Amino acid sequence: MDVTVTSMPLADLRRDEAALVEGWTTVVWNDPVNLMSYVTYVFRSYFGYSQEKAEALMRQVHEEGQATVASGSREQMEIDVQAMHGFGLWATAQPAL
Amino acid sequence: MRAFRKDGGAYVARVDSTERAVLIELVDDVVALLSAHAGAPEPLAHAEDPLQALRMAVEDKPTPQDPALRRLLPDASVDPDVNAEFRRLTEDDLRASKTDSLLRLRAVLQGAQPDVVVLPSEAGRVAAALTDVRLVTSERLGVRNDSDADRLYRLVGSDPLGDHHPEEMRRRFLATVYLVLGMLQESLVDLMLTDLGTPAS
Repeated sequence: MDVTVTSMPLADLRRDEAALVEGWTTVVWNDPVNLMSYVTYVFRSYFGYSQEKAEALMRQVHEEGQATVASGSREQMEIDVQAMHGFGLWATAQPAL
Repeated sequence: MRAFRKDGGAYVARVDSTERAVLIELVDDVVALLSAHAGAPEPLAHAEDPLQALRMAVEDKPTPQDPALRRLLPDASVDPDVNAEFRRLTEDDLRASKTDSLLRLRAVLQGAQPDVVVLPSEAGRVAAALTDVRLVTSERLGVRNDSDADRLYRLVGSDPLGDHHPEEMRRRFLATVYLVLGMLQESLVDLMLTDLGTPAS
């Protein structure tokens, strides 16, 4: 898929910076049940991502089986993972590679 | 059944009483699943020894054996230590919040006359509860990957086998309910996404 990123919202930029410092990530895994629209909704409403970013991450989950959707401290990632489980998505917290 | 549409300030679907009864029964099954395996041997309030009560509160919670429950409360890490700590700290809260959402969905179905009315303020919880019911139903139907999911559509669309075997009919029925739940959720989430708006880029 061809995704052109023209401008990155500030919240996204902060999360990417945090990844370098804090070293943990939240990974969402594909499953055959969750609807593409619902996964997009979760990424938009919980993380505050733009429609474009949320859809790109959703497609990555669907096509590649997983996607890193957030990064930061271990504590923050565990909060994010718990939230994802609350939405019914399967997520794990992992040290960044 | 008629999918969700925006009506006034609310999301409204039409689900007839027979369909609602089936859905409520499924919701109750999931609520029971979340409470039955909670694993506390006795309520904390009744524990006589406060130290014992504390020990029970911090006890390890193993990954659920029931695959359907495991879909609702999945592992949070491939690292067993991180996973165990996560379960110890969050599993009770997650069970409680999921149960809350399921009861919200139940109340919405129960209160239908005959329209199912979901307010935007509760739509997130209702959509999450629909997901949980679909997760459990899919597990019972043996849906493990995308092609299993596609097979359900073909099963529902095909003619029943001649002998109308009870197991086959039960599976067909459950598959139909699963697809109905998917249609309800899809129509609800489409409206919710629209209402999130398009932020200026």
